[in-house]
Amino acid sequence: MENKIIFGRAEAISVLIIIMTTQLFISFPRLMAESGGNAGWLLTIYVTLLSLFFFMIISKLYKPFEGKDILDIGEYVAGNTGRILVGVIILITYVFIISIVLREFSDGLKILAFEKSPVSFIMIFFLIGMILAAYYGLEPLTRYSAIIVPIIAAAFLFIIIGVVPNFDTNNIIPILGKGPSELFLKGATKISVYSGLSILFLIPPFLGNYNNFKKTGYYSIILSSIFLTGGSLVYSLAIPYPATTEFVLPIYTLARFIDLGRFFKRIESVFLLAWATSAYIYLSIVLFFIVYVYKKAFKLKYHSPLIMPFSILIFTFALLPESMMAALELESNIFRVFAWIVTFCMPLFLLTIASIIKKKKRVKK
Amino acid sequence: MIIKLKLLLAIIIPCIILSVLSGCFDAREIDDLAYPMAIGLDKGDDNLLKITLQLAVPVAIAGGGGEEAPGGGGGTSTIVTIEAPAIYSGINMANTFISKQINLSHAKVIVFSEELAKEGIGKYISAIARGREFRPSMFVMVAKGSAEEYIRAVEPALEANPAKYYEMKLRAFDYTGFTTDATFTRFYHNIKSTAAQSYAILASVSKFDSSKDIDNDESTYLEKGRDIPFEGDFKAGSMPKVGDIKSEVMGLAVFDGDKMVGELDGGKTTSHLMVMGGFNYAFITIPDPIKEGFYVLINTSQRRNPEVEVSMVNNSPHISVKVLLEGDILSIQSGINYEDVDKLKVLEDGAEEFFKEEISHYLTKIIEEYGVDICGFGNNMKRNFLTWREWENFNWLNKFKNSTFDVEVDLKIRRPGLMMRTMPVPDSKGDED
Repeated sequence: MENKIIFGRAEAISVLIIIMTTQLFISFPRLMAESGGNAGWLLTIYVTLLSLFFFMIISKLYKPFEGKDILDIGEYVAGNTGRILVGVIILITYVFIISIVLREFSDGLKILAFEKSPVSFIMIFFLIGMILAAYYGLEPLTRYSAIIVPIIAAAFLFIIIGVVPNFDTNNIIPILGKGPSELFLKGATKISVYSGLSILFLIPPFLGNYNNFKKTGYYSIILSSIFLTGGSLVYSLAIPYPATTEFVLPIYTLARFIDLGRFFKRIESVFLLAWATSAYIYLSIVLFFIVYVYKKAFKLKYHSPLIMPFSILIFTFALLPESMMAALELESNIFRVFAWIVTFCMPLFLLTIASIIKKKKRVKK
Repeated sequence: MIIKLKLLLAIIIPCIILSVLSGCFDAREIDDLAYPMAIGLDKGDDNLLKITLQLAVPVAIAGGGGEEAPGGGGGTSTIVTIEAPAIYSGINMANTFISKQINLSHAKVIVFSEELAKEGIGKYISAIARGREFRPSMFVMVAKGSAEEYIRAVEPALEANPAKYYEMKLRAFDYTGFTTDATFTRFYHNIKSTAAQSYAILASVSKFDSSKDIDNDESTYLEKGRDIPFEGDFKAGSMPKVGDIKSEVMGLAVFDGDKMVGELDGGKTTSHLMVMGGFNYAFITIPDPIKEGFYVLINTSQRRNPEVEVSMVNNSPHISVKVLLEGDILSIQSGINYEDVDKLKVLEDGAEEFFKEEISHYLTKIIEEYGVDICGFGNNMKRNFLTWREWENFNWLNKFKNSTFDVEVDLKIRRPGLMMRTMPVPDSKGDED
């Protein structure tokens, strides 16, 4: 049923922007500051260029496989085993990150607004939204993303403009931050910030043609990089390093700085709205793709019966970290270090082998 | 389909009604909370912290401050002091005897006692930075003597609302130049910085009870080589004034890391603002360049941001500052026609020389006496480095005390006020003053 849905490039780009930039509202600017010092924004630009380079190679290899997603490629390479293996790898990755993000957002919301509510209670509200969205399917989600992205972007812009009086260009000097080796060698693994791009390799059947796939990839990376670099740069400009490595929720911390006269104070409530909305869409999209991948990997007829079991699993996994710090550490030390393997290496590997097989088949013919 | 829709609505509508029309079980109404406007921290006995909270009395504020609140602090606020191991434990204890739960989200100022500030306030500062309720725009003060005494002396005479009183009083540097924008954000960033150090507003309680007691013993005019004190030659607590308002803010407390190492008077604070580019405008007295014992008053403002260059000369930092000012004449006591284009240059040169001396006094104080870079000159030096490690190894904060400097002031007098010239005052003896 889903495969008959074809949505526009704008919707697909919106989904990918949400997936790749939601981290901005949690710990992304701090992680960049931890890795690149006061040149965290430079590191973001560097990993953007790296991901564009990798995507260029992947998209070139994808050309002969128009309309096929990464599971189809896995099947093309190694039959059912290949498809299931690829599906399981993606499932593990997605269940891991969605559980952590659910925990981080719920804990964040507890810190910011609902300090007296149990974290599981807050999670349930996110889960209800996620479950409903997953039941309705991909089309409403993509349409909703296309509507909400400009609103979140406007709220983000509002925060940036409000923080301008706190900018000090001296904060981004020395320009190379922790140094070239930290930025360009160790920093290369931070390409995982674009791990959300893996969703793109699941939506080719919905995108129609190869050209759409390629353009969606490029546009989503470039537009997401504007948000990510902007967020990282604004954070570095407003707070001097090493204080930038201290704050749990960097963009919220910035929003708290906004103090425009005696009448415009406590603007962080705008942030809270954008924050909760982007979290909700992010979690819904990832939950949908979890059940979609499971359904496709194991060739099931319907995805709906999988929603509740996976939601319960995600809820349970989200409660496993003993603290928010543990959840944040899992994200920064595991997911953001190794996610690039699933996002970039796996498609590269599969597509290279698939291309070789295709060539061999052509030669045989 | 219709049945399904009806079923769905039958579930959704009660859910919406229940969640929207009923209150949260753990809701806290504004009316249920007590809001401290000022928080004072003193060193207590046995290593404890003495916490003073000036709590707003909303009922009295709404009624214009007519009723006297219990505990002192004027009609619109009440003051409590408690000894506890830390800020939050003190608040916890205070919650046991205050009918409402304390909420810090409207705190306008945190006042540290001088004794505590000299010991180091890093541990309290990080607790405040971690707390969600504290606002980053809150001002940081150091009270000479006790923070409790200072807060108890705050009695807004012209304001019913103590929050507004603090907001307006602490923003007064915009038109006095005697304090500065020492918000918590700025203070926190500076104590974490490797290129700048912190400062807080200096506060105290007036030491004079009657106008007969007024003296200038604690004025800084002698160290500046003046015969009489000017308006900026005082620190909080020693201002020559008496009145209902006992509390005073004037000058800065200077920090090395998280420890207070010195004080600056109002005049040096004005110089600090000028060097930082944060000076708005103020009425400033300068000696008459021609007639000794007379003064010219100039409404001075900052024309442009200062030009600051920092370089290494003979292995020591050298700081060059050019301050660009402009002013309007407010008063010429001598009656000399400085409004005259030919004489205007004399006044401008005299004013430039005066400000140059003032700024030099200030820079000498922070470099040679305190050795702390509260201007953030290190940020200019940082531009010469490519990586953070190189910059850290350079150890600017240690090198700063060996700095040399030169100051240039460019002042333009723009307007004469409402008078174009001063005509002499004739008397019966035929003299003309």
